[in-house]
Amino acid sequence: MGAFGTRGAWAVAILAIAIGSQARAEGDGDDGRARFFEREVRPLLIAKCQQCHGPKKHKGGLRLDSRAAFEAGGESGPVVEPGKLDESPLIEAVRYEGLEMPPDDRLADDQVAILERWVVEGAVWPGAAGPVVAKAEEAVDEPLWSTIPPADVRPPSLEGLAGTAWEGWARNPVDAFVLAELVRNKLAPAPEASRRELIRRATFDLTGLPPTPAEVAAFLADESIDAYERLIDRLLASPAYGDRWGRHWLDVVRYAESDGHNADAYRPQAWRYRDYVVASFNADKPYDRFTAEQIAGDELAPGDPDATVATGFLRLGPYEYNQRDVRGQWSNILDETTDVVGEAFLGLSVACARCHDHKFDPIPQTDYFRLRAFFAPVLPRDDLPLCTVAEQNDHDARLAAWNDATKDLRAEIDAIEKPYREYREHDAVIKFTADVQELLATPDADLPPYDRQIKALAYRQIVFSRDAVLTAGAIKKADRDRWQALTDELKKRAATRPAALPEALGVRDVGPEAPPTIIERSRKANGPIEPGFPTAVEPSPPEIRPTATSTGRRLALASWLNEPDNPLTSRVIVNRVWQYHFGRGIVATANDFGRMGDPPSHPELLDWLARRFVADGRRFKALHRLLVTSSAYRQSAFRPESEAEEARSIDPDDRLLWKRPVRRLEAEAIRDAMLAVSGELLPARGGPAVDAATTPRRSVDCKVVRNFRAPVLDAFDFPDGFNSTGARNTTTAVTQTLLLINGPWTLKRAGALAARLEREAGDDDRARVALAFRLAFAREPENDEIDEAVAFLRRGDRREALVDYCHVLLNSSEFLYLD
Amino acid sequence: MTRAVPHFTTPTSRREWLLKAAAGFGALPLFDLMARESAAASGEAPPWAIPARADSCIFLFMEGGPSHLDLFDPKPLLNRLAGKPIPPSFKPVITSMGEFHSPILPSRRKWKRHGDSGAWISDWLPNTAEIADDLAIIRSCWADGVNHVNGVGQMNTGSTLIGRPSLGSWVDYGLGTANQNLPAFVVLQDYPQSRVAGGPRNWGTGFMPASYQGTRFDGVDVPVADLRPPAAIAGTRQKAKLALLDRMNRRHMAPREDQTELDARIKSYELAFRMQAEAPEAVDLSLESAETRALYGMDDPVTEPMARNCLLARRLVERGVRFVQIYCGAGSRWDSHQDLEGKHGLRCQASDRPVAALVKDLKRRGLLERTLVVWGGEFGRTPMSEKGDGRDHNASGFTMWMAGGGIKPGAAVGATDEAGLYAVEDRLHVHDIHATILNRLGADHARLIYRNQGRPERPTVNEGRVCEKLLA
Repeated sequence: MGAFGTRGAWAVAILAIAIGSQARAEGDGDDGRARFFEREVRPLLIAKCQQCHGPKKHKGGLRLDSRAAFEAGGESGPVVEPGKLDESPLIEAVRYEGLEMPPDDRLADDQVAILERWVVEGAVWPGAAGPVVAKAEEAVDEPLWSTIPPADVRPPSLEGLAGTAWEGWARNPVDAFVLAELVRNKLAPAPEASRRELIRRATFDLTGLPPTPAEVAAFLADESIDAYERLIDRLLASPAYGDRWGRHWLDVVRYAESDGHNADAYRPQAWRYRDYVVASFNADKPYDRFTAEQIAGDELAPGDPDATVATGFLRLGPYEYNQRDVRGQWSNILDETTDVVGEAFLGLSVACARCHDHKFDPIPQTDYFRLRAFFAPVLPRDDLPLCTVAEQNDHDARLAAWNDATKDLRAEIDAIEKPYREYREHDAVIKFTADVQELLATPDADLPPYDRQIKALAYRQIVFSRDAVLTAGAIKKADRDRWQALTDELKKRAATRPAALPEALGVRDVGPEAPPTIIERSRKANGPIEPGFPTAVEPSPPEIRPTATSTGRRLALASWLNEPDNPLTSRVIVNRVWQYHFGRGIVATANDFGRMGDPPSHPELLDWLARRFVADGRRFKALHRLLVTSSAYRQSAFRPESEAEEARSIDPDDRLLWKRPVRRLEAEAIRDAMLAVSGELLPARGGPAVDAATTPRRSVDCKVVRNFRAPVLDAFDFPDGFNSTGARNTTTAVTQTLLLINGPWTLKRAGALAARLEREAGDDDRARVALAFRLAFAREPENDEIDEAVAFLRRGDRREALVDYCHVLLNSSEFLYLD
Repeated sequence: MTRAVPHFTTPTSRREWLLKAAAGFGALPLFDLMARESAAASGEAPPWAIPARADSCIFLFMEGGPSHLDLFDPKPLLNRLAGKPIPPSFKPVITSMGEFHSPILPSRRKWKRHGDSGAWISDWLPNTAEIADDLAIIRSCWADGVNHVNGVGQMNTGSTLIGRPSLGSWVDYGLGTANQNLPAFVVLQDYPQSRVAGGPRNWGTGFMPASYQGTRFDGVDVPVADLRPPAAIAGTRQKAKLALLDRMNRRHMAPREDQTELDARIKSYELAFRMQAEAPEAVDLSLESAETRALYGMDDPVTEPMARNCLLARRLVERGVRFVQIYCGAGSRWDSHQDLEGKHGLRCQASDRPVAALVKDLKRRGLLERTLVVWGGEFGRTPMSEKGDGRDHNASGFTMWMAGGGIKPGAAVGATDEAGLYAVEDRLHVHDIHATILNRLGADHARLIYRNQGRPERPTVNEGRVCEKLLA
C-alpha cells in the first residue's frame, strides 16, 4: 500500500504536495505491484508496443493488450519468464540485445528499467484474483484513460507561430494548449470580445448577476493595463461569487430541502449545508478539505461546526417517512449515497454496477459494494450540536430551570396524554414485520451494528407517530377541558423557555465496528465485502483506522480521493469549473469519465490543469483567475460568416474553442437578473430559505422543495434534486415562453423596472430607453433602437406603454443569453 | 408545445441538421436526437421503431389502489375464510399498515360473467361489464412499491425510487407527436386541487430534458398555466409587444445565426400565440352533442368530474395528442384502509360510467382501433382486513385492463392465487406492462434509449418483456 494512501488526515496529503508525488513508495505485495503495473507498465506498453502488438496488428503472433494474450505469448512462446530477466525475450528485445524492440523508437533507460523491475517483481498483470480478469479476457483491456494519473505535461511550445498573427495571442499556458490544438486543426481563434461583452460575461459567470451601469462605466473608463484582471479580482472577492459557484456545487450533490416522497416534509435545518457550501467557496477553501469535510467531517474534525454541517452532504437524499420495508429503505439510501459520491467526486457512473458488472467501464459489481461499504456504518442524525460546550452548558442550565418551574404542569399533561401516546406507539410498532418489531424491543447494547441502524430507521417512524401533535378532539371528554387549560398554560410559559440551540443534519458512524456489506440481489453466495476503491484505479485495500466511536472508513475514502495523484478527483473538479466557464467541459459528460462518457477534447490540457490545481493548493479562485483571464475565455462570440462557415466544417460543435459559444442564462441567473434590473433584489444573504415567488432574494437562498419546485426556476431547467446534475439541460419549451410573456411574475418585474426608469431617468423617453439598455443589456442603444422604442412608448397610456416595453426587454433573447 | 422547439426546425438535409444540432448547445443528447430528427426529416424510422398499432394512449390511473378482489378477481376462498387469519401456506408480504396477520375480509360483491368472453366483473362496475368483450383483463399484475408514492412512481416511471422519466415522457421523446400546437403528453385529474401521490414527478422527465414532461390541463378556459395573458394586457397591447419582441429578437439573432436555439426561441413565441388559439377549442366540451355528454355522465354531479376528463381525453387524442393520463380519485382516493364499501362504492359510481363511455365513444368513432386505453392503479389490495372493514395495500398481485389499439379484445391473462394475494400465472410486472404499451405505440422498449451522462437508459430499466397474450 502506498505511503499516502495509508495516511489518515487530509493535512498530511496537503503536505505531500510539497514533497512531490515522487515520494510515493509503491509498497510491497501484489497490490503495490498491481499499482506499479497500472501506473508505469501499462502506459508504456500502450505507448510503445501496442501499435504492432495490439488490437490491430499482432506481429509475431504477439499481443500485449490483454493479460490472456500476454500470457499466451507470441509464435515462439511466452515473452516473459516472471522474476527472470535473462530468460525473458521481452527484456532482451527492449535492451536491444537480440530483437531490437521497438524497432524505430528505442526505449529510454528509465523506461527499460520499468519493464525490468516489472519482470523481476513477477510480471504481475493485475486482476488475477478479481472478476476484472473475466472481463479483461473478453475484451482488449486497454485501461480507461481516466484511471491513469494525469501526466506531467508541459504546455506546447508556440515557437512555430512566431511571425504569424497568433504570435503573442497566448496569455497563459491554458492558451498555449488551446491555440496549439486550433492550429493543428487549421483553425484560428476569434478576436477578443469587446469590453462591454467581457464585463457582462465575467460578471454573470462569476457572480450570477448582471453588471450595474456604474460597474460597466467604471470598467470602460479604466485605462490601466490590468483593468480586466482587477475586474476579475473584484468579482472573485464579492460574496455573490459564493452564491453563484456554491449553487453549481449544489447541482452536483442533488441539493434539496425536503424529503421528496409523498409527505415531502420540509427539512428546516437543511439550509445550513447550503450556507456551508456558499461560505466555503467565498473563503476559497481548498477542495481537498471541502471533499473531506463532506464525506467524513465527523471523523476529520469532530465537534467542528463546519465539518458537522458538511456531513449534511450524506443526508441530502430523499427519505420516505412511512416506508415499512426498513431494510430495503436503508439499502436504497446507501445505494443513492454511493451513486452520488461516484458521480460527484469520481466522475464515474457507478450505478450500473449496483446490479451487474459495469458493461463498459472497469467497475465490477464487487467494486460498487466496496465503495458502498465505506458508507455502510453511517448513522443518520438530525440533532448534531453546533455550539460550544460553554453554550451547551449554559443552555442546559437554563432549560433545567425552566423544566423545574414547569414540572408539575408538564407532568399532569403527560399523565393525561400517556394512554394516547402509548396507543400511537403501539399502532406504529405493529405496522412493521415481526423481525423489525423484535429489533424495536431490544436494547441497542444487545444489537449488532446493522440491527442498530435498522432499529434507528424504524424508530424514526415510531417517534413521528407518537410525538405528533394531539388535538383536543382526540382527548376523552372527561379530560378534555383540563387538558386544554393545561396546554394553553404551557404555551404561555413557552415564551420563557430557552430557545433551542442550533442543530444540524448530518451523520456519525453507528460505532467503531462496521456492519457487514454483502452484494444484494446477487444469486451467487457472497461473503462480506470490505471497503475498497475502484480496482482499476487503486487495487490496494485502504488502511482504515477506527477511533473509539467511528470506523474511520469514510476518512480513509476521503484521504484516497485527496491523494495528489488520484487520477479522477482533480480532473473531475477542474473539468467542472472549465465547463461552467466555457459552456462545455473538456470532458463534455462532467459526471461520466467512463467509456460511455465523452473523451476529452484537450486531454493534455485537462491533465495540466489537474496537476496545476493540486500544485496551487486546490484553490478555486486561482483556477478561475487562470481560466477567466485567458485569451481563450476572452474570445468574441462573433466571427465573420466566411470564417465561421469554414470553422464549422472542421469543428461543427466548437469543441476546439474557435469562438465563444452563446449561452442561455441558467434559471437562477434569469430570476436574479430580473430582480437586479428591476431594482428589487434584496441584499440579504444566507440563513433559512425564502419563497422564490414572493421574496426578492437571490435564488440560491430560495426554498428547494423536491415536489414543488418554484415555477419560475423550474421552467428554465432547474435540476430535479433527485439526480446529481453534471450539466443542466437547456430547453426552449413553450411553457417558458408562456411564463415569460403571460405569467404574473415577469409582469411584476416589468412593472418594477418601469417604476425604476421613471424614478431614475426622469421624464425623457430617450433617457429611459438608454437606462433600460444599460440595465438589461449592459450597453447603449443604437439610434434606430431608440427610435423604435420611443415610437413604441408613445402609443396609448404612457405608463402602460413603459411597462409593456420593459416586459419586452425582459422577454428578449439579448436579456436571456450571454455572448 | 412543451417540447424543446429546436426539434421542430426542419433541416433541409441531414448534414444541415447535424450542423445545427451541434452548433453550440451541448446539453441535449445529440445522438438520440439525431436518430429522432433524421428519421423525421428523411422518413427513416428511429432505431427503436416497430410497426405501431396505436397512435395514442389514454391511461386511466385509479390512484390509491383499487381492490382487484372486489372488482375483477373473485375469490370464493375469502368468503369461506372470512374472519380467520390467512393460512400459513401463504408467504408473508410486507404491507404498508402491517395487516398481514389480520383476519380475512370477505368480498360483499355479487359476481357475474359478462359478454362472450365470460369475464368476471363485479356489480360495482355495471357499465364496464357492458364493454367486457372489448377489454383484455390482466389478473396477474405485480409491482414493487409498498406505499402509494413508490407504487404510483413505479407505475409511471418504472422505478419505485425517484428521478426517472415517466412513461408519457418516454413516449414523447421516442415517438414525438402529431400536433405541434398541443402538448404531446397531457395530465388530467378529477380532483384538480388534490395531490397525486408523489406529485408532478409522476409526469416529470427525471434526467431527461424538461421539454418532454407532461402538462396538466386543469381549468376549462385556461388548460395550461399562463396560456392567456391577463385581460388588461391582452389584445392589441400583447400584439404590439410580440411585434416589437420579434423585431428585437431577429436583430439579436442576425449576427448569431448558427445558434439555432435563438431561432427556436423566436418560434416558441409564435407557437405560444397559436396555442392560445387552439388549446381552448380543444378543451371546449360545449361543442359536444347533448347525447355524447349524457353518455359520459356529464349531467350527473357524481360522474361529472371523471366524465369531463374522459371526454376531454377523447378530444385530445382526436387532435393528435400522444399520451393522456387521467388520474381518477386523485389524492389516493381509491385507498380504502377502512370502509372499503363506502370508499370504493363512491369511486366506482364516479368512474364506471365515464370510463365505459370513453371506450364506447372511441369505438363508435373508429378511434378505438388506434387508441390504447389502459385501466389500473399502483397496486391492488389485501385479502386481509384492516380496521375491520378495509383492505391494506397489495403490490404482489392485482388487476389491470387494456383495450383498443392492437390489444386482443376479450382476452384474459394471468391469475392470482386462491386468496388473491400473489400473482401466480403469467405474472406481469410493471416493466412488462410498460413494454407492452410501448410496443403497441410503436417503440421497442429494449432499444428505446436515452443517454444520461453517458449511461444508456431504457424506459423499463433494462427489464420487461412484451406480453404476447395481450396482442391482437
